[in-house]
Amino acid sequence: MEAAAELFARRTYDGVSIDDLVKWVGVHRNSLYGVFGSKRGLYLAALRRHIDQDVRPHLARVARSEVALTWDLLLLAAVDRAPDDSEVAELVSSVFVELDQAAGDPGVTEALLGRWLRARPDVERHRETVSDRGVPFEHDALEMAPGKEI
Amino acid sequence: MAVVSVQGQDLVVEMAGLDKLWALKSRLTIPLANVRGATVDPGILGDPKGIRAPGTHVPKVITAGTFHHEGEKVFWAVRDAQKAVVVELADENYTRLVVEVDDPRAVVAMVEKAMSR
Repeated sequence: MEAAAELFARRTYDGVSIDDLVKWVGVHRNSLYGVFGSKRGLYLAALRRHIDQDVRPHLARVARSEVALTWDLLLLAAVDRAPDDSEVAELVSSVFVELDQAAGDPGVTEALLGRWLRARPDVERHRETVSDRGVPFEHDALEMAPGKEI
Repeated sequence: MAVVSVQGQDLVVEMAGLDKLWALKSRLTIPLANVRGATVDPGILGDPKGIRAPGTHVPKVITAGTFHHEGEKVFWAVRDAQKAVVVELADENYTRLVVEVDDPRAVVAMVEKAMSR
């Protein structure tokens, strides 16, 4: 289950095939169907496990500090699966409500999600690539601000 | 090719054309309560299928009929692996159905929606 959660956290739901799961998780295809019924069944089980073990125990700590989120599966589920799967939407929404309550301010949740997006390695790589093409990002813009001593 | 539909509280799988002949079955009716899930799975055609009894198996051409493998009874009706959908069952004669459908994603979405009603 942990291995499946790791794979689902790296790719979109449609980007993960049963072949990928069989290889990555190391289970027989028949066993996967026998236990979980379908890819969606495995996905929901992995998401629930992630929420129960990786997210909920750390809500209060995350809400209080500047730590970076490592909740890729939850956050990918929010953007990738929640629009198409009401059960996923319900799970994700309940966690965000709990995070709002732990932080005492929905703005803190929004700031955390913003930091997570900006800290993702892919985003960082993209920033470097675009920056190389001469498109300024915020820090570049500050460097070029009028009146700033260089 | 199979045509999968939801009729009332049942999932109905109907074989089209000559696949009725190859699969030796024209229609399966499964109560939705016994459907555990549906998945697009092109890779399943590469797995061992077990002993055919009865049915038709011409490698890389058609897999149709009833197959017994590791204690499971599986119904197959597939020519094109890219269009294979796996329907997992409980408390039924078959453990699972592996059928070729015209639009695999649409069929999976339809089954999942019907299961959640």
